[in-house]
Amino acid sequence: MNPLNNKKLKTFFASAALATALTVSLGACASESPTPAAEDKSFTLYSGRSEDLIQPLIELFTEETGIQVAVRYAGSAELAAQILEEGSNVQADAFLSQDAGALGALTEAGLFQTLESSIADLVDPAYRAADNTWVGVSGRSRVFSYNPAKVTQVPASVLDLTKPEWKGRIAIAPSNASFQSFVTALRVLEGEEVAAEWLAGMKTNAVLFEKNGQILDAIESGEVDAGLLNHYYWYEKAAEIGSDKMTSKLAWFAAGDAGNLVNVAGVGVLSDNSGARTFAAWLLGNTAQQYFTDKTFEYSLTGLAAPTGLPALGELASPKIDLSALAPLGATLEMIRSAGLTE
Amino acid sequence: MTKNIKRRPPTLVLLLAVFALLVALTPLVYLWVRLGEFGIDKVLAQMLRGRTAELLGNSLLLASSVGVTALLLGSIQAWVSIRSNLKLRVFFGVTAALPLAIPSYVSAYTYTALFPGFSGFWSAWLLLSIGTAPYVYLAVSAALLRSDPATEEVARTLGAKPWRVIREVTWPSIRPAAVAGALIAALYALSDFGAVSILRYDTFTRAIYNAYRSSFDRSAAASLAGVLILVTLLILFVEAKARGGYQSAGGNYRKAVPVGLGRWALGPNLLLSAWVVLALAIPAFSLVRWSIIGSSSADLGEIIRALVNSIGYAVSGGLVTTGFAVAIGILTVRYQSRWSSIFGRLVWLTHAMPGIVVALALVFLSNRLLPGIYQTNLILLIAYLALYLPNALSAVSTPLSQAPKSLDEVAQSLGASRLSVLRKVVLPIAGPGILLATLLVTLTVLKELPATLMLRPTGIETLATRLWSETSVGAFSAAAPYALLLVLVAGIPAWLLNRQIRSTLRQELERE
Repeated sequence: MNPLNNKKLKTFFASAALATALTVSLGACASESPTPAAEDKSFTLYSGRSEDLIQPLIELFTEETGIQVAVRYAGSAELAAQILEEGSNVQADAFLSQDAGALGALTEAGLFQTLESSIADLVDPAYRAADNTWVGVSGRSRVFSYNPAKVTQVPASVLDLTKPEWKGRIAIAPSNASFQSFVTALRVLEGEEVAAEWLAGMKTNAVLFEKNGQILDAIESGEVDAGLLNHYYWYEKAAEIGSDKMTSKLAWFAAGDAGNLVNVAGVGVLSDNSGARTFAAWLLGNTAQQYFTDKTFEYSLTGLAAPTGLPALGELASPKIDLSALAPLGATLEMIRSAGLTE
Repeated sequence: MTKNIKRRPPTLVLLLAVFALLVALTPLVYLWVRLGEFGIDKVLAQMLRGRTAELLGNSLLLASSVGVTALLLGSIQAWVSIRSNLKLRVFFGVTAALPLAIPSYVSAYTYTALFPGFSGFWSAWLLLSIGTAPYVYLAVSAALLRSDPATEEVARTLGAKPWRVIREVTWPSIRPAAVAGALIAALYALSDFGAVSILRYDTFTRAIYNAYRSSFDRSAAASLAGVLILVTLLILFVEAKARGGYQSAGGNYRKAVPVGLGRWALGPNLLLSAWVVLALAIPAFSLVRWSIIGSSSADLGEIIRALVNSIGYAVSGGLVTTGFAVAIGILTVRYQSRWSSIFGRLVWLTHAMPGIVVALALVFLSNRLLPGIYQTNLILLIAYLALYLPNALSAVSTPLSQAPKSLDEVAQSLGASRLSVLRKVVLPIAGPGILLATLLVTLTVLKELPATLMLRPTGIETLATRLWSETSVGAFSAAAPYALLLVLVAGIPAWLLNRQIRSTLRQELERE
């Protein structure tokens, strides 16, 4: 006896074919785009920042403005590549990126519309494109995190960490994008040779981790004495377990040091859709800025107070650097690999 | 009325096959455009860099070791569960196919969540071998069931040692199936990104992803992808040599006399028990553990929507892909010629492309040729066709060859058209095999991530995309319920695949 006789097979294939037809036709309906009106009431956003973080913000935006947002979530770099391949048929009206590099790539391809100065001027020129094609919406600083029981004096420069006294005590995450942006900044500020030497020194001294969060855990547990990470990891952890329970502290190097790099997440507009512009402006408004400060402990770029306990953005001793210049990371990755820090 | 017997394939079949091949080869067109933009000197410079060679070496090492391991493991599993007298052979058979339900990125997560230091070559080798051995197991099982055990039994009666029987009689009859399965395993290892990136083994696909991620340089990425095409050509050549020509005369279905393993039983028992622990128990334990930790944050409505979408895409993707594969299979199996065999090989050419390259190729082409279908369900189905046509083709080829060719000629000479011969003779006989192929592709589509992420209609979520969003936040516990559900859903076709093999075995018993 054949358990799969002909009749059953036919029924299976027929019903499955029907299901296929239904799926396809449903998709065709869903994909019809609304006709643009004078005042656009909906737009499409490509978001390289996580749904977890952005979706509540989108809901607030829709509530306040009545503008509907269709959001695609994916990695910032993948979305940038996708937008570049969409060519003349770009689907996204706005692109929210996790870092300035992906925004810089789209600026270079000439895909962004220029933002009017009423939007762009809300942000310090250091944290937006020189031609106003994108603006930063929130900032994060590289920091030196350390265990005060083991480290009595914070080094003056990130370059000091290659000294023999730091051997086996300092943690880094060389495959992490924010570490890589910092190395690019080091190359831009100090030159290729210094950057390569620093990486070689870190190969000797550093304990390697995959993620910033793991570095912080290792400092907390006493496994390492100090580490390089983004500031908000410390605040997220402190919010989770209580700041009085934190063993580690944060510190910054001397003014202008590459180790204090401030990078941003930002937004650019890709079409004439007025809703997308409204959204870009809204991200720089108080609701969104406060949301970033409260929720992710990032810096507001429009002058709202920094999360409690952090020095103000203006007082940070960050280096002066064009963030768009951090885009082509290829040479940096090559350098990190040749130093033997990544496989 | 007499009718001429036509040896040319029906036009409809030819059209479907050509369309499918064109879709499967779209990444080539895209690479051509990108490389043309880049200029030959830059392409060569990118291809010939020391780092490129090193990564290529890593990838080849992984692909070949995974291919060989999967070949050995899958063949042993198939032989033990079908030919041996091991007490646990049915259990070992069922557990051999089940890892198909676990996406490689999920198994990598489950391992690293339990063993934080689990990384590097051996980790990637282990998990990818486990994930791909089922392809060999399924193909070899089917081949063993089709081959007449009489020759093996005669050889044993004549006093040949068991090992010699396996080497000289059994192996030649399962070799084409085993090697074809190993080809899928090797190309999978070559194209995998999820597992190797989690396990931190630096392969060529990581270089391709890094080219997109770090420099947004699509042409540099395309040069690297071009290298993978060359490597695939090489692997296809090796596979054609290794496959060999001998294929046992099918047709004599008969229950084989189980081979007593005697004191040799310990080896397979240990190996296959280790398999059950490594391939199923560890991932299952880790998934359940993390699901319990993470279930508090999961939204039920969201999970159900993702589940329904996943099943919809998987079933429709499975049907469409298998349907086109049947057209190509008819061409290559029932209308054999030099052209049709080239046709059958060409399908494989882009199978080592990482998903992101195939997805970007479709973004590029659909926006220029048919902007209306971009980010609709239709383009997604086309993507699944481009990605999994070879898997489906290799699964439908054997069943399509089961109806003797003389039947075509007899039916045609009696006045039946070529299409009605296919419909009334060939397809009914191949039906169960085609259903198996559909299940296999359904299962694969269920696990697909990069193309789904890029091409789905905006706002549509599947289990795989939800899983991706949750893990990208870094919370494996929040992702675990989606992973667990994905594995459970994919477990249904994986289990059905096995049941079909079992029922064929049972049929033989009843026939005696």
